[in-house]
Amino acid sequence: MTRDRRKSDVLQGTLDMLVLKTLQLEPMHGWGITERLEQWSVSVLQLGQGTLYPALYRLERQGLIRSEWKITENNRRARYYALTRDGRKHFTEELANWRRTSHAINLVLDAAL
Amino acid sequence: MKETLRRLKSLATRAPVERRLDEEVGFHIDQQIAKNVRAGMNPAEARRQALIKFGGVEHVKEQTRDEFRPALLEDVLRDLRYGIRILRRAPGFAIVAIATLGLGVGAATAGFSVVHGVLLAPLPYPEPHRIVRLFQIDRDGRRMGTVSEPNFNDWKRDARGFSAMAEVSAGPAPVTIGHDTSMIPGARVSREFFDVMGVHPLVGRGFAVDEARVGGAPTAIVSDRLWKTRLGGGPLNHLRLRVNNTVHQVIGVMPPAFDYPTGTDYWLPRELAAPQTSRTAHNWAVVTRLSHGVPLDRAIAEISAISRGLKQQYGEGTWMSDATAVPLREQMTATARPTLLLLFGASVVLLVIACLNVSNLQLARASTRRRELAVRLAVGAGRGRIARQLLAEAVVLAFAATATGLIIAVGGVRTLVALQPANVPRIQNVDVDMTAMLFAVLVAAFTAMALGLATALRTSRPDVREALAEDTRTMPGGRRSERIRQSLSVAQIALTIILLAGAGLLTRSFIKLMAVDPGFRTEDALLVDTQWTFSPDAAIQQRRKAVQEELLARLRALPGVQNAGLVDAHPLGTGWFPNGQFTEMTRVDELQTFADLEKLGPEIKARQGLAAYRIASEGYFQTIGIRLIRGRLFEETDSADAPHVALVSESLATAKWPNQDPIGRFIQFGNMDGDLRGFRVVGIVSDVREVTPETGPGPIFYGYYKQRMASHFTLVVRSEMSSSLAPTVRQVVREADPELPIRLRTVEEALDRALAGRRFSLTLIGAFSVAALILATLGIYGLISYLVGERTREIGIRLALGAESTDVLRLVLGKGVALAVPGIALGLSAALGLTHWLEGMLFGVVPSDPIALGGVMLITLAAVLAASYVPARRAMRIAPVIAMRAD
Repeated sequence: MTRDRRKSDVLQGTLDMLVLKTLQLEPMHGWGITERLEQWSVSVLQLGQGTLYPALYRLERQGLIRSEWKITENNRRARYYALTRDGRKHFTEELANWRRTSHAINLVLDAAL
Repeated sequence: MKETLRRLKSLATRAPVERRLDEEVGFHIDQQIAKNVRAGMNPAEARRQALIKFGGVEHVKEQTRDEFRPALLEDVLRDLRYGIRILRRAPGFAIVAIATLGLGVGAATAGFSVVHGVLLAPLPYPEPHRIVRLFQIDRDGRRMGTVSEPNFNDWKRDARGFSAMAEVSAGPAPVTIGHDTSMIPGARVSREFFDVMGVHPLVGRGFAVDEARVGGAPTAIVSDRLWKTRLGGGPLNHLRLRVNNTVHQVIGVMPPAFDYPTGTDYWLPRELAAPQTSRTAHNWAVVTRLSHGVPLDRAIAEISAISRGLKQQYGEGTWMSDATAVPLREQMTATARPTLLLLFGASVVLLVIACLNVSNLQLARASTRRRELAVRLAVGAGRGRIARQLLAEAVVLAFAATATGLIIAVGGVRTLVALQPANVPRIQNVDVDMTAMLFAVLVAAFTAMALGLATALRTSRPDVREALAEDTRTMPGGRRSERIRQSLSVAQIALTIILLAGAGLLTRSFIKLMAVDPGFRTEDALLVDTQWTFSPDAAIQQRRKAVQEELLARLRALPGVQNAGLVDAHPLGTGWFPNGQFTEMTRVDELQTFADLEKLGPEIKARQGLAAYRIASEGYFQTIGIRLIRGRLFEETDSADAPHVALVSESLATAKWPNQDPIGRFIQFGNMDGDLRGFRVVGIVSDVREVTPETGPGPIFYGYYKQRMASHFTLVVRSEMSSSLAPTVRQVVREADPELPIRLRTVEEALDRALAGRRFSLTLIGAFSVAALILATLGIYGLISYLVGERTREIGIRLALGAESTDVLRLVLGKGVALAVPGIALGLSAALGLTHWLEGMLFGVVPSDPIALGGVMLITLAAVLAASYVPARRAMRIAPVIAMRAD
């Protein structure tokens, strides 16, 4: 099974965006990210928390995030992910893009008929 | 680029990435468990909930791997590693499968190499597709072997579609190099020959215009082979060849790859000899080069139109009614084509049988591996992935088999080339080259796909629950798998039958052929071929006749020699069988000049007859084993000055003089040697099959050697120690005339050579069918053993309940027969549909020959029963108690 093409690219794109968003403030490990996403009550991980990991590896491969081992406050080793400069730039661009698009779509959807 | 580098890096560091993922997932789940415990769950429940929340661990890992693996390359490598590992765990299976497939791939590759090298590969000349041969077509629509010079000249003058056109006449002639005379194949070629071929001498030069005319300085162009081996490979200006008493200066050497006409070692300008004017003297092969952009059909149309015009103009003056053009390559390989296609077809059938065999083995394995695969499916491995791994396993198998197969192919091709089948041109050029290897790899890839997909489709689709729940006591593979395996075995039997049928028919033909009475004795006789250059000089002829007489006398005097004789063209000879039209006369001096013959006008038709024209000595008939039927043979008293006498063969007697007595009749046959003295028929002798035992005996006319000259002759020596006699015979000939080139062989060797082509085909298809039979038998043995194995309990119970061991035997053999019957039926009906392709290769049997096909059926049935008998014996010895405890 190479890339699963049935999954909608929109959903995948959304997940990628949200992961980048969570990492904006500080580096986090995978579980931390899922916790943050849960706080926001977004349901991009319907299929389980695990589905986060393919996204993390994908973003790292694309050079948008980087990762390193760090010790948690509970003295355990965990893999922390952080935005790269490319990642920040990409996020800003994508965000602007998203805003433009959603603005346009909202205009159309709200237009009085 | 960056992306590629990263992927390559991750490829190199895959294992750490894999460990990192494990650790991350472990950490994640531990965190979730800790959170759940804090929320008040007991540890077990906390763990369970954490896992549920995470989702399928294996599935996630698999998906994540998709992200870090450089997808295809890495997958393929890993799957291949997996394939190798799996196969190493089942070495027995792997060895059998690789050997079987290797045999199939090897056979197919060898077959392809030969077909490619001989039939498909272009001739090694520039734009070889433009080189075509032109043929006259006679009244009956048959292609004639050769062309007469006036017809050639008219073609050359009128045809526009050819950029060059040349006549060629090839054959061995006595050649003296230094003091050594031997028969060397050469060719006389007309001016444009080298333009037609598009190849010119590599060393030296071609013929100058002044050398290509009557009275020009005799020159020769030689082959690279002759130059290097016989002429020493030195500067050309000292090299001379004496051909037919003319000394030719060597002026050029052809490139090593140049070999046309096949085997030719020197080329002489045809124009050294006077032009020929008879439209019915057929002496030339015509080769041409099509002009740029002229398609073959247009060339054929043009040459045909010209030739039909010539027919209108000359009527009976030319035998040609039409003409056609055939690409040179096609013409050169035409006789070998059926044999080679048969060989290739047989090798492909063998490959298919090998594939079926391995599929069968794989299915047997797959059914026992079903549980393993089901487990892997259950823990989240993708179905596609499992299918891919099975395919990878097949790929590993196929490529290992290809490596084995290439070794087999190289060995096979070397053996074939060493057999030197006389009827296959260009065989020495055949090799397992890049094209053949590419073919092998393609075959392997195809095989892998076929094997892998078949297995993958069968096994990656099991119902997980059902497979896991399945008790190993029930049939592991299920009924469906068993049915598939049975059909594979049936197909194998059917294909084997097809090959065996071909082999059977050819064997029967061969046996029939060996039983044919060729009309002469094949054992204990030595043939000494030799020839003088033709000379019209009466004194020389007289001297030569004396030499022949002396030779015969000295040979007959040798200890151990029973008899000796002489003939100008012996049975099973190589290619020289002169024949012509004779005219019956009312008295011996009725027709004394060609003008007399012409005066007869249309009346001549009724008087004419067609016969082979041979010159023989007294003693020849007894020596070769031809019987006198009536009248007398030649005698010493038939001297040169006595009236010329002749013998006729039985078939000539019945064809020309049905219900009449040929003895005492007068014959004019002077058109053969220019001597117009009439013959009187004195006896009738038995028939011989001259060319090969396959062609029926033709009418033969014999003249006496003391009365008519035989420049080209063969001494036949009968002796029970014929082979050890060779050096003495050679010595005798040397002493009689040192300029006579000699070629010695026994009649048996000549017969072998005449049958070589047939023996070649037979050996090949025989080898293929035996291999097929072995594979099919092994396949059936495997299947029956497997069936017995899985019915151990059932058989044990039967035995416990009082079944006799013969019942068990019948049960198991019945399984074999159940495979054999449909297999044989299918195979026979396919064979009946296919064997008509063999018709041209059969002798004395029809394609549906019941003895051959019946024999094939019995052999196959016997093989199947033998294959079933071994497992049947095992089944009969099953101890009921142990059987019931099994599993």
